[in-house]
Amino acid sequence: MTEKKLTIALAGNANVGKSVIFNQLTGLHQHIGNWPGKTVEKAEGTLHFKGYTIDIIDLPGIYSLSTFSIEELVSREYIAVERPDLVINIVDASVLERNLFFTLQLMELETPMVMALNQIDMAEKKGIRIDHKKLQKILGIPVVPTVAIKGTGVYELLEKSVEIIEKGGINPPVIKYGEEVKEKIREITKLIEKIQFRYPARWAAIKLLEGDEQVEKEIREIGPKTLPTAEKLAKEIEGIHGHSCSTIITSERYEAAGKIAREVQQIVPKIRPPVSETLHTITTHKILGYPIMILAVLTIFQSIFTFGNYASELLSNLLYGWEPLFEGLLGTGVVKELVWGGVAEGIIAGVTVALPYIAPFYFILYLLEDSGYLSRIAFLMDTLMHKIGLHGKAFIPMMLGYGCNVPACLGCRIMETERERLLAAFVTTLIPCAARTVIILGLVGAFVGIQWALALYVIDLLIIFLLGRLAFKALPGEPTALIMEMSDYRFPHLKTVGKQTWFRLEEFIKISFPLIVVGSLVIKLMEILNLLEPIANILSPVTVTWLGLPATTGITLIFGVLRKELTLIMLATLLGTTDFARILTPLQMIVFTLVAMLYIPCVATIAALVKEFGWKKALFITVFEIIFAIFVGGITLRLLILTKV
Amino acid sequence: MEGPRRTEKAELPLTALRDGESGIVTSVEEGRGGGHGRGRGGWGFKKRLMDMGLTPGTRVTVVKSAPFRGPLEVSVRGSRLALGRGMAERVFVEITK
Repeated sequence: MTEKKLTIALAGNANVGKSVIFNQLTGLHQHIGNWPGKTVEKAEGTLHFKGYTIDIIDLPGIYSLSTFSIEELVSREYIAVERPDLVINIVDASVLERNLFFTLQLMELETPMVMALNQIDMAEKKGIRIDHKKLQKILGIPVVPTVAIKGTGVYELLEKSVEIIEKGGINPPVIKYGEEVKEKIREITKLIEKIQFRYPARWAAIKLLEGDEQVEKEIREIGPKTLPTAEKLAKEIEGIHGHSCSTIITSERYEAAGKIAREVQQIVPKIRPPVSETLHTITTHKILGYPIMILAVLTIFQSIFTFGNYASELLSNLLYGWEPLFEGLLGTGVVKELVWGGVAEGIIAGVTVALPYIAPFYFILYLLEDSGYLSRIAFLMDTLMHKIGLHGKAFIPMMLGYGCNVPACLGCRIMETERERLLAAFVTTLIPCAARTVIILGLVGAFVGIQWALALYVIDLLIIFLLGRLAFKALPGEPTALIMEMSDYRFPHLKTVGKQTWFRLEEFIKISFPLIVVGSLVIKLMEILNLLEPIANILSPVTVTWLGLPATTGITLIFGVLRKELTLIMLATLLGTTDFARILTPLQMIVFTLVAMLYIPCVATIAALVKEFGWKKALFITVFEIIFAIFVGGITLRLLILTKV
Repeated sequence: MEGPRRTEKAELPLTALRDGESGIVTSVEEGRGGGHGRGRGGWGFKKRLMDMGLTPGTRVTVVKSAPFRGPLEVSVRGSRLALGRGMAERVFVEITK
């Protein structure tokens, strides 16, 4: 007997515990990819239940089904066109009204539904009690109370879902709009029914009234006659109400959601506010919020770097210990050089340099996100981020950038528009990652003085500020402002956080490791073929004449494209000493570090940029940053000579 | 007692409210940029504000504002939102006691 296949999609607002439910349902059987052709994540998992193989699709957390973001477009297209057998709508019981607004929109997509009324424990702590049976009756869809982080209700949820599917998938009823609007919807629906649209006719009719550009575009292709009618009717509604039609429909939807919420919930205000509330007040406090944030961020960096250094050393001692083994197997000839020096060392470097910092970075970041602190940081940093045309949320990928630029570039997806994503990614690539920190501290910090190392960080921040501002002015489009929910603080679900960390690491390895290995091989080949000297000579007008550095640094800077910390390691190998003071003047060290810090991140970051923004933009950023770094390096040299000597 | 800004016009942008004050949303202005950027400009963000619950007739409370012209924390429909100044300036309210 073969198992029957079912598909269930999870849909809901952000921060409602959706990913926790996804984890509870699918356990280890999940994989994360992208929606075809989109930079939106697609999480999929499977489970077996009562003789069914159920495919679970975790849709992105969204607040509406309009065209505001790619996430919204992806979600509505999936539900309406791909038609999963059922949609589980996950709802935060403590913010019922807003969540119901989304529920009502899902219902309009005419898909079989079950609701998970999640976080009922948190709602009760806030003094909100919900009569879920009454809610079920009003909505006409099954409502299952759940506490996802404890696993409560998840089994019942699944049971209910299968039951609904077995019954043949009952379509939920739809909300009723005011008389005038209802009539117009009916009229347009009739027109759309005639042209065989891929979305439900009534839903499309509502969207046309709302002025939804995507739906308009698609209808224009198959039945353009519908559009003028819809426009005329929308104008009529606008004439009656004095607001735009989109506003009226959204308002009516919210009114309906509010009415249902008031009917089913009982609010007993607590005498003492819950701990999460107090925590929110303190961490977003006008004065206290900032020192708390700075302390938190510094503590995080400190512990990540401490852990990273320790783990990195441990791993490299272990892995480099395998070299004799390779020598024994492959001898000491060219083959060994390529296999060990090219492939193995590339992988080892990735493992020892990147992973020890990136893994804890991700873990802590997801802990902060899950608990709710990241949104508070975004709130506090909004003003500062605005100076470079971004808003508070951009601080999060920037923070990630100090660990590694690759995840930071991918992290820019949290920004709403393409323009902001690009701007944030550009700024992020200028942030000195862990590998660049190795150079700054290992060269300037150790041999020139820690104050000079700190000065470089400050200069970097100034440059970010300046370039960010310039890019913001140069890029077309309107700057956007922050609009974000700050949901209540809650305990993060460690398993979910662990999984999110793991998936991110996997993504990182997939993007960066192949390039690191190929790059290592190429450079090893160049070394074997004695091409390094000639290249150093070709570069000498730049390195020697303009930057005032020894010619060999040209080679090391090329190595740095692979991984930045290699510039320092290579410098030591080529010059035959780790006592850099003997071969470089303090001035040369500063210039060298400055250039290494600023010229393109590394080959893996370029790959991440290509993945997110395409070849052209990635190439532009790369070329720009190389020229810029060389320019700044030369200017600094001349300035320092002028002022110091 | 109250400043002149309160008597001249019944409608005020959300940014004119003091911490703890509430108002009823009267209208949401479209962005200065109008419709460029494939609906991502003015229209998109007006829609976004609506989708987050700031529809006309809704009661909204400014809980606090971050210093240095920072974003506003507002309470609307039982949820807590962070609104950047640029957003909050577009939301007009009528003050209620």
